[in-house]
Amino acid sequence: MAAASSSDSDGRRAESDEANSKWLDAHYDPMANIHTFSACLALADLHGDGEYKLVVGDLGPGGRQPHLKVLKGPTVLTESPLPALPAAAATFLMEQHEPRTPALALASGPCVYVYKNLRPYFKFSLPPLPPNPLEQDLWNQAKEDRIDPLTLKEMLEGIREKAEVPLSVQSLRFLQLELSEMEAFVNQHKSKPIKRQTVITTMTTMKKNLADEDAVSCLVLGTENKELLVLDPEAFTVLAKMSLPSIPVFLEVSGQFEVEFQLTAACRNGNIYILRRDSKRPKYSIELGVQPVGLVRVQKVLVVGSTQDSLHGFTHKGKRLWTVQMPATILTMNLLEQHSRGLQAVMAGLANGEVRIYHDKALLNVIRTPDAVTSLCFGRYGREDNTLIMTTRGGGLIIKILKRTAVFVEGGGEVGPPPAQAMKLNVPRKTRLYVDQTLREREAGTAMHRAFQTDLYLLRLRAARAYVQALESSLSPVSATAREPLKLHAVVQGLGPTFKLTLHLQNTSTARPILGLLVCFLYNEALYALPRAFFKVPLLVPGLSYPLETFVESLNNKGISDIIKVLVLREGQSAPLLSAHINMPVSEGLAAA
Amino acid sequence: MAEEGLTTRTQFPVSAESQKPRLKKAPEFPILEKQNWLIHLYYIRKDYEACKAVIKEQLQETQGLCEYAIYVQALIFRLEGNIQESLELFQTCAILSPQCADNLKQVARSLFLLGKHKAATEVYNEAAKLNQKDWEICHNLGVCYIYLKQFNKAQDQLHNALHLNRHDLTYIMLGKIHLLEGDLDKAIEIYKKAVEFSPENTELLTTLGLLYLQLGIYQKAFEHLGNALTYDPTNYKAILAVGSIMQTHGDFDVALNKYRVVACAVPESPPLWNNIGMCFFGKKKYVAAISCLKRANYLAPFDWKILYNLGLVHLTMQQYASAFRFLSAAINFQPKMGELYMLLAVALTNLEDIENAKRAYTEAVRLDKCNPLVNLNYAVLLYNQGEKRGALAEYKEMEKKVNLLKDNSSLEFDSEMVEMAQKLGAALQVGEALVWTKPVIDPKSKHWTTSTTKPASLQQPLGSNQALGQAMSSAAAYRKLPSERRLPKAP
Repeated sequence: MAAASSSDSDGRRAESDEANSKWLDAHYDPMANIHTFSACLALADLHGDGEYKLVVGDLGPGGRQPHLKVLKGPTVLTESPLPALPAAAATFLMEQHEPRTPALALASGPCVYVYKNLRPYFKFSLPPLPPNPLEQDLWNQAKEDRIDPLTLKEMLEGIREKAEVPLSVQSLRFLQLELSEMEAFVNQHKSKPIKRQTVITTMTTMKKNLADEDAVSCLVLGTENKELLVLDPEAFTVLAKMSLPSIPVFLEVSGQFEVEFQLTAACRNGNIYILRRDSKRPKYSIELGVQPVGLVRVQKVLVVGSTQDSLHGFTHKGKRLWTVQMPATILTMNLLEQHSRGLQAVMAGLANGEVRIYHDKALLNVIRTPDAVTSLCFGRYGREDNTLIMTTRGGGLIIKILKRTAVFVEGGGEVGPPPAQAMKLNVPRKTRLYVDQTLREREAGTAMHRAFQTDLYLLRLRAARAYVQALESSLSPVSATAREPLKLHAVVQGLGPTFKLTLHLQNTSTARPILGLLVCFLYNEALYALPRAFFKVPLLVPGLSYPLETFVESLNNKGISDIIKVLVLREGQSAPLLSAHINMPVSEGLAAA
Repeated sequence: MAEEGLTTRTQFPVSAESQKPRLKKAPEFPILEKQNWLIHLYYIRKDYEACKAVIKEQLQETQGLCEYAIYVQALIFRLEGNIQESLELFQTCAILSPQCADNLKQVARSLFLLGKHKAATEVYNEAAKLNQKDWEICHNLGVCYIYLKQFNKAQDQLHNALHLNRHDLTYIMLGKIHLLEGDLDKAIEIYKKAVEFSPENTELLTTLGLLYLQLGIYQKAFEHLGNALTYDPTNYKAILAVGSIMQTHGDFDVALNKYRVVACAVPESPPLWNNIGMCFFGKKKYVAAISCLKRANYLAPFDWKILYNLGLVHLTMQQYASAFRFLSAAINFQPKMGELYMLLAVALTNLEDIENAKRAYTEAVRLDKCNPLVNLNYAVLLYNQGEKRGALAEYKEMEKKVNLLKDNSSLEFDSEMVEMAQKLGAALQVGEALVWTKPVIDPKSKHWTTSTTKPASLQQPLGSNQALGQAMSSAAAYRKLPSERRLPKAP
């Protein structure tokens, strides 16, 4: 709570210091109906006319109507439905020829759809995975009817238990079937070849051999079967394949494919792996311990957002540099690159409706948005160089333009004592009366002390007497004797004139049952009538609470109530084991009648 | 790989292709992992509602075969507190892919959260067989062993975890084991290493600082706590401890400044209000001191240190009846401390109950081992009552203690106490008894801290105990006041 409140005020300060804002509000449409992730946003000059468009791989409301949307300014230029949900969108230059219009790649399911000039151009499918040879063999046998379904099932179970290569969907489905359905399933499916297909989880681009802004780039794909693939931009062949210990979620690339590159993959097991050219396996790994929610490279520093609401900075060798705590859950992250001033910073969209911009540890700017921002993208849009595009949880679209005069200054609200230090201590005030009493005590302290002590002793004496009396007459609701540890409590139900009186009697000993108890009610017979004022209690098993019910009839109609005493007795003893006084309620039934 | 020249913009042949198999009799199976990435993205973004919707859809489509969907569903269940349900789902996952250590780890984690530490260790051991090099398994095994009170095994596992990969959390748990075993030095060793490994972790820095404070190594304590505050200026544990050190050195205004930050963060912390109260006491703002201490007492009515301070302030305010109440309450909670009886005796003396005052002094002298103040005050009382012989005996006893203290340490004595003792010595005609050295600091402040701080336990934040002990030391500095007041009565 404290951290949140103090950083809140940090943020406020950072914001007010800016002379209102560094941003121009270009466009806000809360009903834009765009539901997407930062990975599915891309900015590119798709038509080669110098007018940059925004490409959105839109999941649609509830992730049900995936669309490819291209926006120009605030309006949607084209919109086309997609066969499956888009996992990532990227724009890249495919070849050197003029005109140098970038192609658009959209990863979805097992395929990458490539568009040129916004027209479908090519579809790349991930190569199918090799099936388990044993499994293949089994199904071949099934095809030739050399194996019965039950044996097939047993054998497949065996493979599932041990094998390195997992089973195909077909076999897994088969293993779930009941005995009666197996035969039909085998007949239906035995002639089909066994297929194992994987899907693309993430995608990014990497320059092929030149570091220029408009150089040809390769696509880098992360797949569900823990692999990274680099695709040739022209032929769409797999140039390189690297395997990871877990499934990649976010990718970050630096360098060129044919020279030297570094691939960073944040994975689902909470680790981040760093790969180099010429290494088929990760060279360094960062164990985050929690899930990463974003991965951004700022020059040489890897900035990782974690589910513990913090940003961490790591070197390219995986050494932790710093940690910054955020006031709320991080929803998305992206890079802010202002070419004109050579600034690179990290933007993080938070669940509390803030977008925070950090350069290393230093907070540069806080943007407040009407809804939590779920995807972010910064770059050239239209003809404006520094545009920030945000989409919100509710499907809104916000476009802001960075003022040309705006300069981000480091450490807006980070230095100096925390603001709470300036706040006054809330010391409780003392009244005039208190001061008077103090003075009186100084004058007559001894007398006060003596009177107090006397009264205290008297109080203790009376308390002790009352206690002894209660013990002697067993007035307490819990019996203190070692032989019959009992607990009693009573409940009165009803409005009257008839009440239901329920006694809950519990034997609190650990093992011994209690036998031969009696319950007796003492009451004013002019006021109440009970069907049985005296009855035997059944054997009490230890631990159970026995409800003993009886009806009480109120005879008086003047609204008078009285106490009913309940005594629990042992057979043959006159002193009660315990007793309870029940304050009967006034009979409302009679009063009303 | 399929290459097709696509012409239509709106429709991909994929959709046509997906209709093709339907013409045959065997339907195509959907890819099980089709939407895992989406589930994961919703999950890490903590958008659990959307996540559950996708999971439900995915499970329906794959007839419950999608392991990752079940896995995340179980994780969400666990976050929502339905640990039993999550455990069952994780077990389902473990059946779907028995080779995966991660599923076993989660099963064990759920068992751990259910408090079944023994069962959890078994599952973790099982998982360790599948994945030998996982620090998380080792770490969690270690934590389970801590709860099973098998500290040796726990240490082994935690060291293994550190060996595989170093994490702050592992260091913290190792440190906790040493603290549980009461081995402060080893705990400090561990925390030192941890701070070396991650120098910006404020929790580590604070804990190390507090441990030093507990051992009375103020310089290092201050250094580490200061570091913690540089990285996180609102870390209230560190502020409280730093403030108490400042208080010991008499920097009451600076300490109060620091406490303001804490008062904002944890307005209901009893040690905080105790320390603030004693700051005001140091600045001689007694009414404010009483207000703050009473608030502390209201927040922690069973804390004897607060009651002690309240008694002390009331004595200063000459409210002896109130002082008596607070001190006797403190004695009820802490019956083993000589100084408390001494203060009680001072209060009783002022309430003209000499008989009981003497009894309290006797008790104080019996319990106290090294505070000369107790004997001095007793001697003054006896002298005022005309019992010169008794006074002389107590005076001798005091000399013994003073000599002992002088031999053992280079500590110097409080000027007022020295003056008082010299006057009494003259009155008793003992001659020049002692050679008192430059009076500066109360001899007890150091001894006080170490003796009154309880060993840190797992549940209680270290800061409060420690800081309280510190405040006590500043309180201790004022204990001479009552003795001083008896002075005019001495002939």
